Amino acid sequence: MNPATDHIPEAPGRSWRQIRQEVKPVAMSRLGRRRRLAGWARAAALTVTIAGAGWGLYTVAHSWSTNRSELATAMHSELVREIRLSNPHGVLTREWAAQVLALPRTASLLALDLPALRDRLLAHGQVQAAVLAREFPGTLAITLQERAPVARVQADDGQGQPRQLLVANDGVVYEGLNYDKAMLAGLPWLDGVRLVKSGRGFAPITGMAEVSALLSTAQLQAPHLYREWLVVSLARLAERDEIIVKSQEVPEIVFSRKRDYFKQLAQLDYIVDAARGLAAAPPLQSVNLSFEGQVPVRLLADPAGPPAASRSFSLQLSQRKKPREL
Amino acid sequence: MSSRIVAAVEIGTDKVAVLAGEITRGRALNIIGVGLAPSRGVMKGEVVDYKAACEATHHALEMAEKRAGIRIEEVWLAQTGGHLDAFLNEASVNVKSADNTVTALDIASVCELAKEKELPAGRSRIHEIRRPFRLDGRAVPAPEHLSGRRLEVGYWIVHGPESKISDNIHVVGGYHLEVRELVLASLATGSLLTSAEERAQGALVIDLGKGVTDYVLYRDGHVLVTGTLPVAGDHLTNDLSLGLRVTLAQAEQLKLRHARATAVTRDRADKVWLNGDASFGDRQLPRMAIEAITAARVQELLEVIRAKLGPAFVPEHCGAGVFLAGGTAKLPGIEEAATRVFGLPARRGVPPGWVKDELQDPMFSTVLGVFQFGLRTAHEHAVPPRRKTGLLSNLTRIFAAT
Repeated sequence: MNPATDHIPEAPGRSWRQIRQEVKPVAMSRLGRRRRLAGWARAAALTVTIAGAGWGLYTVAHSWSTNRSELATAMHSELVREIRLSNPHGVLTREWAAQVLALPRTASLLALDLPALRDRLLAHGQVQAAVLAREFPGTLAITLQERAPVARVQADDGQGQPRQLLVANDGVVYEGLNYDKAMLAGLPWLDGVRLVKSGRGFAPITGMAEVSALLSTAQLQAPHLYREWLVVSLARLAERDEIIVKSQEVPEIVFSRKRDYFKQLAQLDYIVDAARGLAAAPPLQSVNLSFEGQVPVRLLADPAGPPAASRSFSLQLSQRKKPREL
Repeated sequence: MSSRIVAAVEIGTDKVAVLAGEITRGRALNIIGVGLAPSRGVMKGEVVDYKAACEATHHALEMAEKRAGIRIEEVWLAQTGGHLDAFLNEASVNVKSADNTVTALDIASVCELAKEKELPAGRSRIHEIRRPFRLDGRAVPAPEHLSGRRLEVGYWIVHGPESKISDNIHVVGGYHLEVRELVLASLATGSLLTSAEERAQGALVIDLGKGVTDYVLYRDGHVLVTGTLPVAGDHLTNDLSLGLRVTLAQAEQLKLRHARATAVTRDRADKVWLNGDASFGDRQLPRMAIEAITAARVQELLEVIRAKLGPAFVPEHCGAGVFLAGGTAKLPGIEEAATRVFGLPARRGVPPGWVKDELQDPMFSTVLGVFQFGLRTAHEHAVPPRRKTGLLSNLTRIFAAT
């Protein structure tokens, strides 16, 4: 406030501001001493409040990082009264989820360890993703996303008995629940794979992405062919990039994962149609779609006819069926 | 919104006045509490009995806090007393730049030089009041970027004995409060009672208190001279006591009832009762004698002020006239006496319109002025701030030089 000292350095000589303002307690009046005590008390109260708040924050942070359930039970919370499941594209039910989670009746909503519960759901291969959320006052909301099976596989249950497992497009092998039996019966079996134990289940099957692409393309574009497929073999997938399909009509159809599945299916469709059209011709033994430009076809050997080698024919490019005709 | 609770305190010879105000955003003031107590242990603005002064001051502070319902955080203290002194120190510098343009550096240099004057041992500075800059002899409020060869400035430096200033500060410190600002009482009163236009026209403000008389002379909107005389209302009382051979208490009552600053009674037979209560020992005194004594003392007091102002006081440069304040200014005929001495129209100072009715009494002029001065002067008298030199301005300067 001093008019000239705002922006100019302090002049030489003492200013009144250099006068010591502290007064010894004996020189203070009763009111002054009371005021000083009140000031100290306020400062102490403020210090204690800040220290308490700091300690509280530390405690909460420590509990959060070490024992969340203890933190939750320290607070008043409602019990879990309802489990609500949202699974619009799946077959798993709320009862199944409740059974898997196995929450005790006395569990409070805040005390739930949601990551652990989510892991419990994800332990089932059929569940691809799970989101758990608290909806106060007492609802546990679960949203599930399930895997879709693309094939079946036979496995040993450990007691010498075979059991049917399902394989999803990402190669995960799991025991399907609540699926429609007719739908399951329509899935081809998977062959030529070696199931490797991993934990309580099996390790994902490698190469299933290509198989799944083939199967889904066939299911969409040539359902009349797909319906007849019985077994899909991955035995030559790693070595020769070939997927072998055994159908009711053709014992061996060889697909290449290097070629467009749609083209291969179109060629197969044409060949099957052509073979049916050949009068008195033996049924198809194998169709190899792995070559670019021609399709070697082998007919079933006839004991009375000429040697099998001479009964093969190839499909020329010009003979291919147009995709739109599929 | 930042606000702080500040108390303006005046430890006078007659009374201790405290105003508690809430200052918001550093500029807006809201008076929220008043404390008033009869002063004790103070003579002519100096603390002579520490304990008694503490009791009176702390009582007033406590009263202000209770009425405001808040806790005062800091104090702005009015300073007065016959122990205060002041002098003018001037300095000049040659403008450094080749094109004779005044820079912030020139301003800072001349200001530093003007304030460099050493004080006698044991004395402390209270105010350093800058007078207008002069560039080649012409007065300029802000010389930066103007052209000229010689820049001059003067500082009116108010100082006082450190021991007596610290006594006042310690009285406040005894209440566990810190004095943040020390404001000369005359500046505070002058700041309240005169407007910016009146100060620009030129005005003389005289605060006639009980123990001391403070005065401040404004010219061209700036403080030209300040001063404090250890002569005031108490001397009128003392003179009456001696001249009429009555006690001081009786003389005080006579002063309040019958004294005048100009003698108008011509009838020697016109008499007044000493006590007026028809008690034992009550007697009659000539009114003419009372008026003659007080008028002579008031005239003497005003003439001393005029003499102290010296050549700085030029009636032609004091267009707004003389403003009278303080308890002794209530004397009838004092305007006439002042007009006679100074040759200017004189009137009692009236606080501005924003002051509430209950604070219109002259006893609050100084404490109100402390707030007014404190909030105003930081913006009005400050030296223009030095601009920060950034990269761009440095580059510009290099190119300009080449």
